[in-house]
Amino acid sequence: MVVSLKRRNGLVDFFYWMWDGIERSIFIGTKFSFPGRFVSPFGFLGMLTFITFIILGITGALLMFYYEPILDRAWDSVEKINNNVPFGFHLRNIHYHASNAMVLLAILHMYYQYFSGRYKIRNEILWVTGVILGTVTILEAFTGYDIIFSERAELAISIAASLTNSIPIAGPTIREAMFGSGFADFVLRFYAQHVFILPIVMLGLMAVHMPRFLVFDVPMVMAISGAILITGGVFPVDLGFKFEPTVPPGITVPEWYLTGLYAFLRTQYDKFVTGVAWPGLFILTLAIVPFIDRYKKFSWKDRPIVTAFGITGIAQIMVTTYWGFYISPDTTKPLVERLVIDPIFFYLVMVLLVPLGFGFSYMMIKLSKEAERKAKLAASKAPQKVAQINLSGKWINWLIVALLAFQVYLNIAAYNAMLAGMNNFSLFLTGLILLVFAGMFHIYRYGMNETKKIPTPPPQIAKETPKPIGVAPDTSATLPQKEKESTPKVTTTPETAPQIKSTSAVLNESATGTPDLKK
Amino acid sequence: MSEQDSRAKNTLSRRDFLKLLGAAGTALTFTPFVPWGNFMPNPDTTSLTRAKVILPDDTQANVNTFPVNHSEVITYPKTEDRVLDEEAFRKWQFIRLSPEYGGEAKDVSAFRAYSMVCLHLWCLWKYWPEEGRKRGECPCHGSMYDVRIGKAFAGPAALQAPPSNVLAQLTFEADNDGFMYIKPAKWNVNENGVIGYGRFLKA
Repeated sequence: MVVSLKRRNGLVDFFYWMWDGIERSIFIGTKFSFPGRFVSPFGFLGMLTFITFIILGITGALLMFYYEPILDRAWDSVEKINNNVPFGFHLRNIHYHASNAMVLLAILHMYYQYFSGRYKIRNEILWVTGVILGTVTILEAFTGYDIIFSERAELAISIAASLTNSIPIAGPTIREAMFGSGFADFVLRFYAQHVFILPIVMLGLMAVHMPRFLVFDVPMVMAISGAILITGGVFPVDLGFKFEPTVPPGITVPEWYLTGLYAFLRTQYDKFVTGVAWPGLFILTLAIVPFIDRYKKFSWKDRPIVTAFGITGIAQIMVTTYWGFYISPDTTKPLVERLVIDPIFFYLVMVLLVPLGFGFSYMMIKLSKEAERKAKLAASKAPQKVAQINLSGKWINWLIVALLAFQVYLNIAAYNAMLAGMNNFSLFLTGLILLVFAGMFHIYRYGMNETKKIPTPPPQIAKETPKPIGVAPDTSATLPQKEKESTPKVTTTPETAPQIKSTSAVLNESATGTPDLKK
Repeated sequence: MSEQDSRAKNTLSRRDFLKLLGAAGTALTFTPFVPWGNFMPNPDTTSLTRAKVILPDDTQANVNTFPVNHSEVITYPKTEDRVLDEEAFRKWQFIRLSPEYGGEAKDVSAFRAYSMVCLHLWCLWKYWPEEGRKRGECPCHGSMYDVRIGKAFAGPAALQAPPSNVLAQLTFEADNDGFMYIKPAKWNVNENGVIGYGRFLKA
């Protein structure tokens, strides 16, 4: 049976009617584009960050059904979600890994905008709101892993409260107003901030931060979602130990986006300077970069100082992040020796990274300019060859059918894994299904584009157009004439129009030498 | 219609075939998320076993000492969790009948336990031992229950068709010292009944 997919029934009409009604809303100001071919995800990392935000919203809302923000029940409720509630393991892991993905994507998004110079040309407001949004994202992730109230969460909450308290003059007031008076308050208030206040702030900032032109690339969105699920399946997040006031906690480090800050805290210097002032200065510097950057050009190659500044920053972040993680495994040493980072050593490395960062940037700029020059030379000499995979319509169909069969298998396998209680394996397979869908959608998109193209005409048989005897077609003489004849016709007819067949016919005619007769 | 026409109409274009494949792929991609709906109902971990009748003062009910024409609230099935035990669907009116209904018997026949959840709109009713009442009354819409069999005899619950006019109940047994136990319950309209829904009276 063949079903027409173009049928307009009442329901479809209703959807069209609703779609037209959107014209009266603010959404008309936003322009969505769904790329018809592969485009670099660097350009829409912000959209991918937003997608992970949506994933976090959905999974977080579901986790709220079981989570209890009460000091002595919080950890137990998370344990119940993880171990007893069907698919609780899945949702908790997706929520955790999506939070990491969101922080990572936000950072990548920021650095792409930074090095491509897009924060200029009246995008300063977008940049500044973006920097604030990034900071709030990290706070959101931080409050999230605190409200589990494991041992590590307890330490993190204590450090956060203590750092807030250390702010001169206003600190204690802010701490009491924001965090309340103790753990019982902290859990409840961090929860209120995590599920409502900070997301509302983020949505408000997003309303300003969203550009008018948005790219929604289905395969990349599905690939990111699949990657989050797969990471959850391969590295399931643990519960930690429940916080017991009578049991002293072990050594713990914060999440990876805060270990840099943790390294500064471990240098024994004043906690306000290392824990509040340094990160504050870092965020402030990022926020004002577009006002400092006076270069007239956008490319990172043309803005050496800004590029070097960014690279130095990245190097310092990487070094401090690793340093924050590193704790000497030698348990015979006293704890203070293992945990304290020698401030002279630490700050010396920080300072040394500056000339290294500038030197590295100088080298990269030199090398890229040289590569550009060589590429230009090469382009003028040799034809540009780009590797391509060209599939015929038949093979596109077979490939999609094969991927569909693989998806059927994965569906069965994921369901069986779930029945067998292998939660992480079922999560992994579900992620794989999303990844396969990403690939399938890409091929589908390619196939749809291919169907729009004009099918190549069958090869002409020379016998059909008998050549008049005596007129020998001179190929070298017809070549410029062929161009003269065909080019104007190509420009006048749109590519998708069926009339384009005429040009190919002309080409075929010229290939067979018939135009010679028209002279 | 000629054969040529029908063939032209029934031929699936390449675009339509691709669209069908795409739709199949989308359906297959979101199929694994269908069973995720099982996340929503809270998995019940309590088991319906034989349990002591524990009164609010933490003592076990005894047929020899429990006052006649009196009621207490008991919890069944009990959990480890104080918060879950406060659930209305675990609360039962534990009643020793008045003397005229046979409440002075020194065995379990003098006792009744009915779900506190009224069959009308799930408010919590209670037993009134005063002279002239001696019945269960619901504070919301005035349904009244005959405490001998748990049947609503007046008010909106009485107008509901069986089994929704008879309260779910627990059954008891007592040991030689008179200490009372709840027999394992079966939530089924023909056995202990379904809380908030009802029970068929046995003929």
